[in-house]
Amino acid sequence: MELAVSSAGELGCRLVVTEAPSPALTRSLIAIRAACQTQFEEHIADAVVGYNTLTLFFHPPFEERDGVLGWINEFAARHFEDPESAQSVPGREVVLPVYYHPSVAPDLEWLAQEKALTVEALIQLHSEATYFAYATGFAPGFCYLGDVAAELSTPRLATPRRSVAAGSVAIADRQTAVYPCSSPGGWRLIGSCPEPLFALDRSPPNRLSVGDSVRFEPIDRARYTQLGGKL
Amino acid sequence: MSTALITNPGIASTIQDSGRHGVQHMGISPGGAMDPYALRLGQHLLHHTQDEAAIEIPLGVFSIRFSDHRRAVLTGAEAEVLIDGRPTPTHTPFDVRAGETVSIGRVTEGVYCYLHVSGGIETPRHFGSRSTSPRDGIGGLEGRTLQAGDCVPLGEAYTADGRPPVARAAAATPEILTLRFIPGFQIELFPPSAKQRLEQQIFSVSARANRMGVTLQGQPIETGLATLLSEATCAGAIQIPPDGQPIILLADRQTVGGYPKAGAVIQSDCARLAQARHGQNIRLTPCSLAEADRVRWLESNYEQERFR
Repeated sequence: MELAVSSAGELGCRLVVTEAPSPALTRSLIAIRAACQTQFEEHIADAVVGYNTLTLFFHPPFEERDGVLGWINEFAARHFEDPESAQSVPGREVVLPVYYHPSVAPDLEWLAQEKALTVEALIQLHSEATYFAYATGFAPGFCYLGDVAAELSTPRLATPRRSVAAGSVAIADRQTAVYPCSSPGGWRLIGSCPEPLFALDRSPPNRLSVGDSVRFEPIDRARYTQLGGKL
Repeated sequence: MSTALITNPGIASTIQDSGRHGVQHMGISPGGAMDPYALRLGQHLLHHTQDEAAIEIPLGVFSIRFSDHRRAVLTGAEAEVLIDGRPTPTHTPFDVRAGETVSIGRVTEGVYCYLHVSGGIETPRHFGSRSTSPRDGIGGLEGRTLQAGDCVPLGEAYTADGRPPVARAAAATPEILTLRFIPGFQIELFPPSAKQRLEQQIFSVSARANRMGVTLQGQPIETGLATLLSEATCAGAIQIPPDGQPIILLADRQTVGGYPKAGAVIQSDCARLAQARHGQNIRLTPCSLAEADRVRWLESNYEQERFR
């Protein structure tokens, strides 16, 4: 493993860990983020955990840049020397209800056929796994979850759909996600989650955060509409 | 509450202030005025605080009818301003009476102009900002660009006089606009020919330019790097997608991205790029962090002097 801390624009800095993404690596990045937020408190404007990166943005003037970069480097190096240190980061467990049905999932039957599975077997494969939230981005509340069973791995559409319905549960390669709001999108759609993933009137507005463990629970049509799902 | 009626919305006008801070970790774009200097100048001219919003109008052609007496000012890009057909200068506060319509013509220099109205715009704040991020559906009126027939809610009109005009800071558009950038660590992984091509050629601003970013057109930069794991994007980041045409990320950028990056254009040059029109010649030149800090400090001091 190699660590590098460098600037990301004039008001940012980025810790890059050259290691394959894993829940343990993400938990470490979350722990390092928490330490930075304690250490630099009001100077930090935002802190974003990516697959193998932690990016911090500072309020101007960012005068102590060299000191900050050095501190993060040193802290991160010490953190990774102690294999126990990431264990303490609590991850939430979130269960999201999903209606897996062709009426709300245009690619469900296609994907089952493509993978020579019954729809039921596909649903079981997708819903029996526990996924890890590696990163947020693309849209407010959108969380990249992994890893999808190799049997379900499927490439994105060559031409993205102009509009994907809010709540769509989707697969791309070995990742899965729920589209929080209607947007263009190229992932394959296999279900619909009636629970809002992002709501401005909620605090925090995001249902999912980096570091969460996520499971999908199959529900029937009646439960789906009861929970506010749209057909 | 008093409102003003949009009678011609222009192509993609939005309500903007200085943007949302600390929301990128939730996947929300920071947003905010593409030319923060023009925003602050208007705030200053109307005695507004730095959290008031304005209407950002790309390329002009916009009209709005007022239902009560207001002071207003247009900053940023140059365009003809008419009050019920009477011309009035930009960057100079003017009065508009109940029932009168302010029309803004096609922009003649720059891209983004800002219409500030006394009393400010009273749309709700989300995460401390009124900025509209249409892609995220947040802010402004229903999270979208303005439409004909929209009623923009205004704060209580106050009678304080506007300040005397401040000369525009923007110099005439140069033949070649130089953008200073802080090299990122990935540029060291580019082949020397790609690095050289990035720093030595003259690019031009392509038609693919909007609030998300500006794509530069030129000889393709072949980084030889595959797409990387997505990481947080910063303002001004120079992304090099597989087609080799650099994209400089601006206010409504996606919050994460996986394209290789050459570095990040410094903040004050991002505002200059935002105001650069299709076809403008661009040069990218590396600068140190110390130089970026110095530029920011000097410009902030200069602004304080001018706004005194």
